[in-house]
Amino acid sequence: MEGVLGDFITVLRKAGVRVSISESLDAVSAAQIMGYDNRRLFKEALAASLAKSHAEENIFDSCFESFFSFNFFQSPKKANTHNPEAYPEALKDQLSALVLKDDKGQLAALMTEAGRMANISSIKNPMQKSLFTMKILNQMGMPGMEAMVGQIKSSTGSGLSQQTAELLEKGRDDLVQTVKEYVEQQLQLNADGLDSKDQFLKTTPLSQIELRHFHRMDGLIQRLIRQLEDRHSRRLKTANRGKLDYKKTLRKSISYGGFLFAPLWKKKKENRPDVIVICDISRSVLQTVRFLMLFIYGLNKRIGKIHTFIFYSNMIDASYIFDRYSIEEALSKITSDPSLPIIRGKSDYNTMFTNFRDHHLHLSTKNTTVVILGDARNNFNPPRAEVLKAIGERCKRLIWLNPETKPFWGTGDSEIKTYAPYCHLLQECNTLVHLERVVGTLLSARR
Amino acid sequence: MDWKADKFSSVEQVMDGMKAAHYICDSQVATTIYLAGNLEKPVLVEGPAGVGKTELAKVIAEYLEVPLIRIQCYEGLDESKALYEWKYGKQLLYTQLLKDKLDTIMNTQDKLADSIEKLHQYDDIFFSPHFLEPRPLLKALEQPDGVVLLIDEIDKADEEFEAFLLEVLSDFQVSIPEIGTIKAVRKPLVFLTSNNARELSEALKRRCLHLYIPYPSAALESEVIKTRIPQIGEKLRKQLVAFIQAVRTLDIRKPPSISETIDWARVLLLMHAESLNRELVGKTLNVILKHEEDIRVAEEKLISLTAEALKADEGMTGE
Repeated sequence: MEGVLGDFITVLRKAGVRVSISESLDAVSAAQIMGYDNRRLFKEALAASLAKSHAEENIFDSCFESFFSFNFFQSPKKANTHNPEAYPEALKDQLSALVLKDDKGQLAALMTEAGRMANISSIKNPMQKSLFTMKILNQMGMPGMEAMVGQIKSSTGSGLSQQTAELLEKGRDDLVQTVKEYVEQQLQLNADGLDSKDQFLKTTPLSQIELRHFHRMDGLIQRLIRQLEDRHSRRLKTANRGKLDYKKTLRKSISYGGFLFAPLWKKKKENRPDVIVICDISRSVLQTVRFLMLFIYGLNKRIGKIHTFIFYSNMIDASYIFDRYSIEEALSKITSDPSLPIIRGKSDYNTMFTNFRDHHLHLSTKNTTVVILGDARNNFNPPRAEVLKAIGERCKRLIWLNPETKPFWGTGDSEIKTYAPYCHLLQECNTLVHLERVVGTLLSARR
Repeated sequence: MDWKADKFSSVEQVMDGMKAAHYICDSQVATTIYLAGNLEKPVLVEGPAGVGKTELAKVIAEYLEVPLIRIQCYEGLDESKALYEWKYGKQLLYTQLLKDKLDTIMNTQDKLADSIEKLHQYDDIFFSPHFLEPRPLLKALEQPDGVVLLIDEIDKADEEFEAFLLEVLSDFQVSIPEIGTIKAVRKPLVFLTSNNARELSEALKRRCLHLYIPYPSAALESEVIKTRIPQIGEKLRKQLVAFIQAVRTLDIRKPPSISETIDWARVLLLMHAESLNRELVGKTLNVILKHEEDIRVAEEKLISLTAEALKADEGMTGE
């Protein structure tokens, strides 16, 4: 049964529940304590040791229901009309005996065990269904049972043996049907693995991610945010152990009559960068903007102040939108709210730079990182790189993220090569992996 | 006595024990407690505010007949408040009192090096268990008869504190640099509660059994009221539960939880109410709803909500 439990844990992992080795060990010992006879208690015991949040509990529920449900358990128990002792020959074959005794629990256990031997969890494709069904049936001892049926039938038939043969045949049909359903269900559990899909989503260009994947994408981003947060909060922890602060220690020692009882330490300053984000929201970049904003606002604990500017043909300060609404609402507002005073014509970097320098540059301090997200396609307006230079000199770092792939940089109306010398960091940014890396460098802002 | 044999022999036993302590729960709760007792694992209890997370630990302490030691977590909680602290005052006092003694010891030696050598033989005196002020965690480990340790609202504490707890939770021991490792005399039963103010770390979750307590179902809630406030009439109880259940489905900031239901039942009892009516509900709405906007939302639908609740009662009695 441990093997089956292992398979179940694999299924859970594939469904997105993170189960560690120690948790699976817990599950095994929980199952041992609880026993397998009471399905409800068994389920609750597994839930307590495997699902570690409310969301995971829901996933666990659905996985458990589909993994541990066989028609075997559900079909109503028929009254045992015949006496299995009546035809002792049939009981020699293990499977036939089980079918005759109608021992559903044992049969189910036998089937799952056979499934494991046949490596059912590797099933990926509907084409493999009949193959696996055959394998499992063979493993369970179907050939033996078939032979038994034949043997009984051919024997000089008393009424009793005929009856037994009929029962066996019916049992066999039920069994085949159940195994088929089992395989089908395993296919659904195993084929739709999330792991590979997550990896796929991480490296797909953001502009090509379809709407239906957004939900999973957001989950993925949340997880990355957690990782980033963990990594950077560790750093803050060591910040408490700085040098000895003589002044404070001496002052404190006065209350102890001059004894240096409590050494005090100089605290390192917490390093939380302020961020100014300037986003191009023309259609070509919009998707990337969405995910970048999810990241930045998700990390607001590690970031001091966030100012957001969006521009198309002109630039507006969109900070208030993000402050007032949830991130989802804010994003839909900046993409489609007609009341925003933004002109959706041709993107114009020239106006944007000048406007920012003239009106908003005071926001930038020596602790500010300016992030510009855009493809630098300036529609043949003058590039005005000197304005960008002025902005770059005023802030701590200037990071430019370009959603275009590198071969396209500098082609046509792209001015990215003109701007490149004035950015502290210029990066291609069109997959989640890129985004994560950029935000990581944003947090470890030491220069 | 042995908990495993005495108190955790079956899930039913645990459930009955909790019922005896006036705590009604579903079997998931009992199963998790039973497992925690048998596996000697901490339990992480999550759920909305007021569903009885803290109460659960109290009840289990009562059931096991052991004291409950509670740590209320908050931002900035650290080892010196949760685990141990040196008794600085006592250390200081003793050094002053023993000054003469120390002088005589020191004066017999001629050279400075010798004095220091001599002093080294005594230096651990002031950092020994006598000068240790045990805080809740250390206290819990030192109890000879076992204890229920409740770490309340762990999500309010800093991540550093969470990491620091890991040693306690997995090995039931703590390390004090000056003294060494202190192991639990008897493993305590640990409860951690969380309101999900922030996500807890994987490492912590991995070490615990997880229990989510949702808002109770109508039947369970009715049962709870019956146990906690037996004086209340059956008719009123059914109406009240139906009303609360309906309010939870509204779009409000803080749906009323079981503790609010109990409060409300008490209030209605005080007012000698026999049955719900619109006026009564309107007057006492602030007992179950704690936000101005929520009250306004509920007031708008008050007529239909009350009517529904009254109907629910009739439906039940009609059956």
